[in-house]
Amino acid sequence: MRQIKIAEAANAANLRLTWAEDRFEDFAELLQRGFMLKARARSSIRDVLCGQFGISHEYLDQRINTIFLDGKPVDDVDSATIGGGSKLALSAAMPGFVGAALRKGGFYAPMRQVITHVEGTESVPGGDELFVLKLFNLVVKELGPLFLDSGIWLDRRDLESFFNSRPAEFWSGCLQCLMEVDELEVDSLHKGKWLIESPLVYLRIHVVTGDKQ
Amino acid sequence: MDNILRIIMGPEGGPKATVIPVGEYAGIGGRALTSAIVSKEVPPLCHPLGADNKLVFAPGLLSGTAAAMSGRLSVGCKSPLTGGIKEANSGGQASQTLARLGYAAIVLEGAPKDDNIYKIFINKDGVEINLDNSLKMLGNYAVVEKMKAEYGDKIACISIGPAGEMKMCAASVACTDMELRPTRHAGRGGVGAVMGAKGVKVIVLDDSGMKMRSPKDPDKFREANKNWVDGLKKHPVTGEGLPAYGTNVLTNILNEAGAYPTKNFSLGQFAGSSKISGETEAATETTRGGSATHGCHRGCVIQCSGIYMDKNGQYLTKQPEYETVWAHGGNCGIDDLDAIAMLDRLDDDYGLDTIEMGATIGVAMEAGVAKFGDAQAAISLVHEVGKGTPLGRILGNGAAVTGKAFGVERVPVVKNQALPAYDPRGVQGIGVTYATSTMGADHTAGYAVTANILKVGGYVNPLTPEGQVELSRNLQIATAAVDATGMCLFIAFAVLDQPETFQALLDMLNAFYGLNLTGDDVTALGKSILKNERNFNTKAGFTPAHDRLPEFFKKELLPPHNVTFKVRDEDLDTVFNW
Ligand code: SF4
Repeated sequence: MRQIKIAEAANAANLRLTWAEDRFEDFAELLQRGFMLKARARSSIRDVLCGQFGISHEYLDQRINTIFLDGKPVDDVDSATIGGGSKLALSAAMPGFVGAALRKGGFYAPMRQVITHVEGTESVPGGDELFVLKLFNLVVKELGPLFLDSGIWLDRRDLESFFNSRPAEFWSGCLQCLMEVDELEVDSLHKGKWLIESPLVYLRIHVVTGDKQ
Repeated sequence: MDNILRIIMGPEGGPKATVIPVGEYAGIGGRALTSAIVSKEVPPLCHPLGADNKLVFAPGLLSGTAAAMSGRLSVGCKSPLTGGIKEANSGGQASQTLARLGYAAIVLEGAPKDDNIYKIFINKDGVEINLDNSLKMLGNYAVVEKMKAEYGDKIACISIGPAGEMKMCAASVACTDMELRPTRHAGRGGVGAVMGAKGVKVIVLDDSGMKMRSPKDPDKFREANKNWVDGLKKHPVTGEGLPAYGTNVLTNILNEAGAYPTKNFSLGQFAGSSKISGETEAATETTRGGSATHGCHRGCVIQCSGIYMDKNGQYLTKQPEYETVWAHGGNCGIDDLDAIAMLDRLDDDYGLDTIEMGATIGVAMEAGVAKFGDAQAAISLVHEVGKGTPLGRILGNGAAVTGKAFGVERVPVVKNQALPAYDPRGVQGIGVTYATSTMGADHTAGYAVTANILKVGGYVNPLTPEGQVELSRNLQIATAAVDATGMCLFIAFAVLDQPETFQALLDMLNAFYGLNLTGDDVTALGKSILKNERNFNTKAGFTPAHDRLPEFFKKELLPPHNVTFKVRDEDLDTVFNW
């Protein structure tokens, strides 16, 4: 995923979908691959997740058991900071010895010491930047709807290739589709007819139970 | 489980079965029993495929009881792949059934003087051994269908496919699952080749008319089992993560950590990981009418397995687990889940270890036999193995043989056994276990993350190399002990985090056998198993030089972290100093 400047975010195309709750997990693959969010640069992981996105401290401390920042396992969410272009990945507890070793601050953390995240000295918060967030396993189910509802940025080509590789059943979950203010037929997303020029898409998905709202 | 069934395959007039009391082997089960019998009765320098080797099948100490998760079967012998002692274990129904039939072990000894193959039927009335050459070169699925037609569907089967009959070093022993499909395998070390060398195609177990084994103190046992199940259900890994996604939940995590061996261990990250992750696999299974939560034997409460359907909604295979998805997937640059599921099905049918086969195909791809990422070529290579073509014979003997045949330097094996799905340059502690395990490179050898509860060996400073060695030692001791109980190793996380769940396991053993075991006794059991195994390997010619990772791990930087394996040889040599 290329690094995107914050200025580009303002020019992103707005795509709003209303999606049936029972097909929400169809977006799990997209959320695993990663999406972009805005955050105050050089804020700690805790500040970003709890302060800016409203995730509870308890959830962060107890449920999000395994965290990677730029591919390195994190032990301390209060000292590790997120910058423009950072890649943050969140997971629940993992099985097995390696799961135990990668767990944040766990007993076996020294077994993966050579790849552990070490925070640099620059930690003064700056302006807003885009960073990449990946959600894995139980965390996809539990936090996915929150981020999709509040909106995520995606590279247009990544979203196109995601839509193009979906099986036919996927589209039965789509209850409504708005590009900017215009309603689109589901078919246009499905068949690649929604193509826009903006390199970025700001995607919001409202998940509903039952019929179209 | 008071008796051992010994079947001698070589005498004049055909195989002979004798049932003898368990005697000097009383009070041990699973890996403790297989390793005790092999180290005492098998000459360490014998040919693994010769008459002097023995193949031992042993249920765990709690198999055949009401204890949840107690259905692992240990299969032990001298390994044709490593040349050392081997215990490979499997889920499925066989362990529970064998234990309820009252056998602490079946031991296959000697070797037939011709190339006939036999089937063995065991029920409450005794043992029948029949020559049946109609089974020759059948896949495991076809063998089980024939046994079902002959003996009904209340059976469990232990069988080999063509790879075992061809005595290939990657051959596995298959055990049937709850649906009577041959999907659970004692995969590692070529145990299937030893069964082939004994001329046994299938062992059919029928426990009709037998009761569940009963504990000495039923009330205490019931209570301990309840605490045990509660502990497993309330933990997020055993109660939520594994049931929802299976072990393949690790794909995204290892990939993110840069420790996911990709394209024959040349990279630490795979671009196609999200297409083959546990999350994607579970969603695919559910959408196609399969299942993402399923047990491999009755009494499993974690249910890390599943049922994988093809695109038309027809059964293809059980849920390929993490090691399989990695070996045939990222390790070969393949990101097609359906192709990986097909490779899993073929491995199960031909009777092959999925880790060894995936690693072997990775080496073959590096040699240019096929291109990385070519799923159809990988499927064709497994068919070559199943048919026993000259190329297939090379591949079926594993990554080390294939590396030699094609002149490849980067061959990921220890003691000739292929490394599993964790690059030791990223997680150095597992490299210590891969290098020093008595079994060859084996992730399960140091899986039981209970060592901090058992506190084996006192204080550990994990930041030093000695600390990493100490942790690996403790893990190996704890794992050997868990392997003796017949418990699935996936209990490890609940036991790590919840001391009361570990206590519940001890309480079950104590209530069942009328014992007073403590954590120290468990440690002593683990040590004694490892001691037996180390002694055997030493007599078989193993030296400290065998306890090493391949040289490339020390020399080649692994992207993206650009790290090498740094634990020193002299530290590795201290793993078994206790
Ligand atoms: S957790 Fe998985 S491997 Fe273990 S017994 Fe259950 S289904 Fe089998």
